[in-house]
Amino acid sequence: MRFDVVIIGGGLAGMTAAAELQNGGLRCAVVAEGLSLNNISANDFKAAGGTLLRGDRVTGGTFGDGRLLSVCTAKLGDVCLEADYFILATGKYFSRGLAADMDKVYEPLFGLDVEYDPDRSTWFDRSFAAPQKFLEFGVKTQNGAALKNGEAIINLFPAGEVLQGISSADHDAREQIIESAHAAAQAILKRN
Amino acid sequence: MPVKNEFDVIIIGGGITGAGTARDCAMRGLRVLLIERHDIATGATGRNHGLLHSGARYAVKDSESAEECIRENKILRNIASNCVEDTGGLFITLPEDEEAGFGLDYQKKFIEACQKAGIDAKAISPSDAKAMEPSVNPSLIGAVVVPDGSVDPFRLCTANVTDAAMHGAKVLVYTQFLDFIREGDTILGVKVLDTRTGQESEYRAPVTVNAAGIWGHGVAQKAGIHIGMYPAKGALLVFGHRVNNVVINRCRKSADGDILVPGDSVTVIGTTSTKVPFEECDNMEVTPEEVSLLLREGCALCPALASTRILRAYAGVRPLVADDSDPSGRSISRGIVCLDHETRDGVKGFVSITGGKLMTYRLMAELATDLVCRKLGVTKACATADTPLPGSVDGRIETVSKRFEGKVSAGQKGAAGRQGDLVGKIKFATPEDKQLVCECENVTLAEIKYAVSELGVRNLEDLRRRTRVGMGTCQGTLCIRKAAKALAIALGDPSLAPKLAADYLDERWKGMRSVGWGDTLREMEFMQRVYKFEKPYSYDEI
Repeated sequence: MRFDVVIIGGGLAGMTAAAELQNGGLRCAVVAEGLSLNNISANDFKAAGGTLLRGDRVTGGTFGDGRLLSVCTAKLGDVCLEADYFILATGKYFSRGLAADMDKVYEPLFGLDVEYDPDRSTWFDRSFAAPQKFLEFGVKTQNGAALKNGEAIINLFPAGEVLQGISSADHDAREQIIESAHAAAQAILKRN
Repeated sequence: MPVKNEFDVIIIGGGITGAGTARDCAMRGLRVLLIERHDIATGATGRNHGLLHSGARYAVKDSESAEECIRENKILRNIASNCVEDTGGLFITLPEDEEAGFGLDYQKKFIEACQKAGIDAKAISPSDAKAMEPSVNPSLIGAVVVPDGSVDPFRLCTANVTDAAMHGAKVLVYTQFLDFIREGDTILGVKVLDTRTGQESEYRAPVTVNAAGIWGHGVAQKAGIHIGMYPAKGALLVFGHRVNNVVINRCRKSADGDILVPGDSVTVIGTTSTKVPFEECDNMEVTPEEVSLLLREGCALCPALASTRILRAYAGVRPLVADDSDPSGRSISRGIVCLDHETRDGVKGFVSITGGKLMTYRLMAELATDLVCRKLGVTKACATADTPLPGSVDGRIETVSKRFEGKVSAGQKGAAGRQGDLVGKIKFATPEDKQLVCECENVTLAEIKYAVSELGVRNLEDLRRRTRVGMGTCQGTLCIRKAAKALAIALGDPSLAPKLAADYLDERWKGMRSVGWGDTLREMEFMQRVYKFEKPYSYDEI
């Protein structure tokens, strides 16, 4: 199955980017695993011809020439989703956009580069109410594209809380999330 | 001084030793004052496995401790039935133990030592062990069944304090010992500080008992007495659900992280043993190294722990009495140390009771009370071994449930399990009273009101120790706003709610920070989100 853009994640960031890309005339698919799917925007998205894979989950991807070529999902099995562009909007730890071991924070889907402090003692403030450093960790980007092993994946654009510096757990980050989704969508529309 | 500040005995320390001593002294007719600088069970009493030792662990090396344990084990099952769960215990032998010289030959020696100490230990086959406890490491090559169990130390301590008070003892929490009142070589009483009001007071008694655990070192110093104490920190991890139903131990020389105890809705692995400076005893942090070690050893007992969420980490300090020859602290006997400072140091009217362990608190209390009674010329015998604690007179849920009218709710059952036969005092008058505040542990509004009016609860940590509120799988994430508001209203000042919640969240956060990765980190993000997003610390809409 081939699309112009595959959006991984159906939360605020994913659905914001999907709507904007659709308005720009691109054929989009959204893979939405979690519970945070915005029903109103999802219905609009489908009504406008978008493909919504609700309750499915991206399990991995194929890379080549510094690009993400396709992704596979749990339910589609051997049928991969190919696209010119991808948006990664999988959120932070709770939605498993990021994961952490005892000594590192990583991006579990593609192994993208993550900005974090290897010294775990700095991750948390002693006071629950204070800002917490672990909520600032996230995927690194270069001109909006994700980095993997220090190299840009030029057609993979992270958006929302998976990015470093954005967390709605610590403060109201709604504007930041929408802004990052807008930036990712515009980067794709400009190139197309 | 006014007469009301005169007692027969003053006990310093509201841990299990002080609480047990207060109960014993009060039951022998003494006028008792118990002082505690925080809340009851805040020190080592509330920071251990909650293991009802069979004594098997000590059988090979320390038969005296083993015999004490099994005797007290049997007594506690009888007098504290509401605090004890008869889980049974296993001592397993793993292939790597055999390589390390603790194979089946050692198991034989272990069983013989147990039987000699009066502990009913018998070997079973690995397949029977797996049938008895399916979560046990399947590669085990041998297993021994022993009468281990689990004990709720908060409940046990509360029951002792409650019974002491029912026998006339005066109990002052949040009351810090400042100094002794002294005349020559005689201790006449204590100067204390009410840490909530800042008011200082004096209390007098012919005998003062130092039952302050590791902090007893500092208490004795105020009398110019040196007790060579050895603060041995023990770290533990709590897992997100009850992984095992039987206590699992390693059948080898005692080492770090080799006991896995199921308690209520969770499982606890521990412990470590490291000497720490006295200054650190007030604020223990569990280190990454301790966490790694406990996880590694825990997985050897029960491989499923590797994929189980860790709820939190905590640490306590054993009040061991020092032996300078062993730096690890493991070869010190867990034996009881009861010191008459008149004969030892020439200071009259002062007794210290220390060493020992949770399991032997009653015996420690008996020894200390015997000494106090000798000093006071009281001859009444100790009756604590045969007199059930409040809540355990007939604490079976079936019996207790009959005290309720109509259909028994989950919250009423939960309360019956925790408060035993005292549950009749909890008033479920309105439908709101039956409402659950903490859904992990089934704590109702009625039980919170009861804890405030009858159990001296002043903050959410106090409430947690009486009712287990916020101790379950969500660690308070979903109930603390409700609990804080309910508690603030019960205390008569709803405006206290944000402060109560913030203090409690900091304490929960402390336990989670040490284990903040994997699913625990996901829970931590969720917790931050619940309490900070949009309207931080707004409690109006609860």
